[in-house]
Amino acid sequence: MAGSTIDHLIAMTIFLGAILIFVSLFNQIIQTAILYQRNRYLATKCSDLLDNILLNPGIPENWGRSNREPLSFGLQDPSPAFQQYRLSPFSLMRLQSAIGEPVYYPGTGEWYSNITMGFGNFLLVSSAKALNYSTVAKLLGINNTYGFQLTITPIVNVIITENRAGNPLILTVTATGKGFPLANALISYCFISVVEKGSGSYPDYVMISNISYTDQTGRAVLSFNVNTQSSYAFIAYVRVSGLVGVGFHQRVTGDKRYVIPLVENFEERKVILAHSYDVHKFGPPESAVFYNATFVQLSEDFTIRQVKDYQGILGKINYGQGSQFYYDTVTLPFDTGVLIITYQSNNEYGVILMPWGVSAMAFPVVFGEDPLNKTWVVTDIRQVTVDKVVYQAKLALWSLEGSQVIGG
Amino acid sequence: MVMAHITIEYVIMLPILIMQILLFPLTANWLMNIWVDSRRTLALQEVASHLGSIIQQVYFTLNRENITTGGITQKPDVPPLIENLPYIGNATLKTILDSAMNSSKVLTITLRLKGTGTTATTRVLLGPNVVWRESTFISNSPNACITAQKFQNKTILLAFGG
Repeated sequence: MAGSTIDHLIAMTIFLGAILIFVSLFNQIIQTAILYQRNRYLATKCSDLLDNILLNPGIPENWGRSNREPLSFGLQDPSPAFQQYRLSPFSLMRLQSAIGEPVYYPGTGEWYSNITMGFGNFLLVSSAKALNYSTVAKLLGINNTYGFQLTITPIVNVIITENRAGNPLILTVTATGKGFPLANALISYCFISVVEKGSGSYPDYVMISNISYTDQTGRAVLSFNVNTQSSYAFIAYVRVSGLVGVGFHQRVTGDKRYVIPLVENFEERKVILAHSYDVHKFGPPESAVFYNATFVQLSEDFTIRQVKDYQGILGKINYGQGSQFYYDTVTLPFDTGVLIITYQSNNEYGVILMPWGVSAMAFPVVFGEDPLNKTWVVTDIRQVTVDKVVYQAKLALWSLEGSQVIGG
Repeated sequence: MVMAHITIEYVIMLPILIMQILLFPLTANWLMNIWVDSRRTLALQEVASHLGSIIQQVYFTLNRENITTGGITQKPDVPPLIENLPYIGNATLKTILDSAMNSSKVLTITLRLKGTGTTATTRVLLGPNVVWRESTFISNSPNACITAQKFQNKTILLAFGG
């Protein structure tokens, strides 16, 4: 009889164990299924959010051209006729960059959001007037519930390489799409060569605008007559079948003292031209910088033109001391384009380019938090145009409500 | 001694085993209920979020300055049934008190799955010129839609239709 009781006890223990194993396995399967559904929901949310951002201009419609915070966030270009997936180059410019190190300028006592693309290609906008991540999350109604990163990158890559530095200067323009060359593409280019006038005087420049075509491999070789080692800048817009891309290249003889353009006021289109010493402080005090600036635009007939009244803007800027800072201010035109600043300091020359509207030089925009190490990130993409330039908009979205991923 | 063993086996052990037989399906049922509730809640939440997004897009379409007056009726691409059950939706509009948001309005949409206690809520941010008309969204109605009307004074009236 004692043996029978032991049998019962063992049977009951095994039965209880079986129930526990069943509960835990069943629970795990259910959790995985719920997670799958939650992730699908996140994907729908990502797609909806991306469309809401790209298909509405925000409130007010022209917030990208003002200094005010919008009431509602959207990036659609309100002009000329609310085309679908056409984004405003100015609204994009008002987003605080997530990748560039912010720059402090003591002349205004302000920080500037940095989308600089290497030496001489600056886009620094006032952080106080640019929209930050938490504000946009609040305007989108996703603060504390979702994290996101919005990336706008150009689809057409235009690479300019200097094949021959001497006279004639030979440049190669290579245009590629996503893994394929842009054959027989129209190139509209602008070549600015700095004319050296000697120390203590304003530099001069010669500007050549012309068109050319790429070959079957997406390349075009262009030659220019310039003095060996003189400074120049080259901007090329490439177009094929409605796809437009931008490339640029500079050569400078002096990179210690130069002009740094800082976008100070979006509404009044005011840009501060500051001495580089005030921003970077390269050791001992440096000499003044003389500049000669101009503004170019890509016109409707796909040619690059200098804007009337924006030719030969001359000035001299010095570094600041104590509370005394010296800078110049230029007011840019209403439409997008490129501010070209040729400079001279101690008989060293160079050219600085600044896009007015991110698309003018196909600058990428990265806005929001870094999705690295975030749990279950959903992404969605759309093909968009910014002004005439083609971009890819990608939204990465993740939940902040702590859903876990089973099985990695 | 023999009687004591019989008592242990048949009076204590047997009811426990019988209880375990009942416990197994009860546990399975309990787990299934959790699964079904979660599934329905998530599905309803997805629909609510999508509906909110559509309302926002309809509003922004009419809010453009080049549109002076006019109306839109949008049939949302949401499922009429969730697990064979229809759902109904209501919404309330409130002005945000946060001064930084400058009198923007938030529309709170609540969906309820009929015959269950499952509900889902989503909030969408709209401009100060929006007005909400009290209405109900019935998912399985053939005329279920979102209507929007813009007036001369730039006010946009939103409502569920059908």
